[in-house]
Amino acid sequence: MQRILNALFQFRNPILYLFLLILSISFTYNRNAFHESNLDKYSFLISAKLHRIQFAISRYFNLRTVNDQLLEENEKLKFLVLQSNKLPLYPDALTKSMRFLFNAKKATVIKNSFQNQRNFIIIDQGSDNGIKPEMGVVSNNGIVGIVHSVSSNYANVISILNQDLKINVRTKNSPAFGSLVWKGGSSIEFKVEDIVSNAKIKIGDTLITGGMSSYFPLGIPIGQITHLEKKDESGYFSIEATLFTDPSQVFYTYVLENTDYEELQSLQKNLK
Amino acid sequence: MNFFSISSIVAFFLLALAQTLIFNHLSIFGFINPIIYLLFFVYYRFESNQTLFIGLAFLLGFFVDLFSHSGGAHTIATLTVGFLRPIIIRYAFGVTMDSPQSYFSDSRTINKFSFLVLIVFFHHILYFTLVYFSWDTIHLILKNTLFTSIFSLILMGIALSFYSNKK
Repeated sequence: MQRILNALFQFRNPILYLFLLILSISFTYNRNAFHESNLDKYSFLISAKLHRIQFAISRYFNLRTVNDQLLEENEKLKFLVLQSNKLPLYPDALTKSMRFLFNAKKATVIKNSFQNQRNFIIIDQGSDNGIKPEMGVVSNNGIVGIVHSVSSNYANVISILNQDLKINVRTKNSPAFGSLVWKGGSSIEFKVEDIVSNAKIKIGDTLITGGMSSYFPLGIPIGQITHLEKKDESGYFSIEATLFTDPSQVFYTYVLENTDYEELQSLQKNLK
Repeated sequence: MNFFSISSIVAFFLLALAQTLIFNHLSIFGFINPIIYLLFFVYYRFESNQTLFIGLAFLLGFFVDLFSHSGGAHTIATLTVGFLRPIIIRYAFGVTMDSPQSYFSDSRTINKFSFLVLIVFFHHILYFTLVYFSWDTIHLILKNTLFTSIFSLILMGIALSFYSNKK
């Protein structure tokens, strides 16, 4: 008896090893009802909990990539939105001209000033990415400005918050057009000049871009009329409007490239 | 409970968690998930109780299997390498009067390296054989063993170099 015990003690390591090996092989291959229901259940419960934590962490770090993907998708959608805005305004747009002049390119705002009377925005795309002066810049819900000058990697944009900049606008329901100018105070309060007083407009009308310039296509929604006053002596409305989005809070923008820009410029030169 | 046994327990859980939470998801080149919990085999002192060590190796593999919801491949591979460790130590460091008491007390790089390579290689070839378990996938087993071993060794080497620098 003593010798058997001694032998067992002497070979305790191989015996333990063989015992555990048989145990673990049974875990793997002897998938009977007990393991299916209990061990697997606990294992799944623990691993699911751990992976949920891990997923939450990795999702946070992936946000940047996801953001970029969304931005790219938006770039495509922006083009489609701009194109579709045109349709209800020109019912025969599809049949008469299949051409749409504007391409959208995404850009991120690096610096945005809004405290001065003449504000500028710097975006992270330049001449290397095909940005040229006098291109329009829009955000997801309104317009941002017009490109002023470009370097190879950056562009300087005249912000809509600049009293020198006048944007050609009209209301959605009436073709009468005027110019949108910043009042210089709050970043969403603007006035609209030069709309003749016989135009049929009212408070609450939506302002859209007028399409009379080469910067922006027709029909980008900009803001809403908040105050309307008819001045008989001048023959023009005095109109106040608020924007849909605050241009001082814009981060992602789209630069609009007018494919017919040079053609338009040469025509204008001939007129002079 | 001395310092060594407490630090062993901490290392045990840290390695199991690091393996399941980080290294099982690395997917270098799409298929390589380095296995670094073998550092426990390096950290555990050579002259300590071998019977206990076999039990610990079993538990380590079992924990990793449990957390990563894999079959029993980690368990069998770690258990076997744990059982064979004294032989690997004898082979890598030689049997002399001044046999090292732990991995860190030996100064010869070639011994340390052969020890690491043997442990990693044995473990990986067992692990991938058990994962695939078919002659048709022998090329997959060999490919995975080779490339995963390389990355496991690199990562373990980096971790060990930090540990030695601190000492």
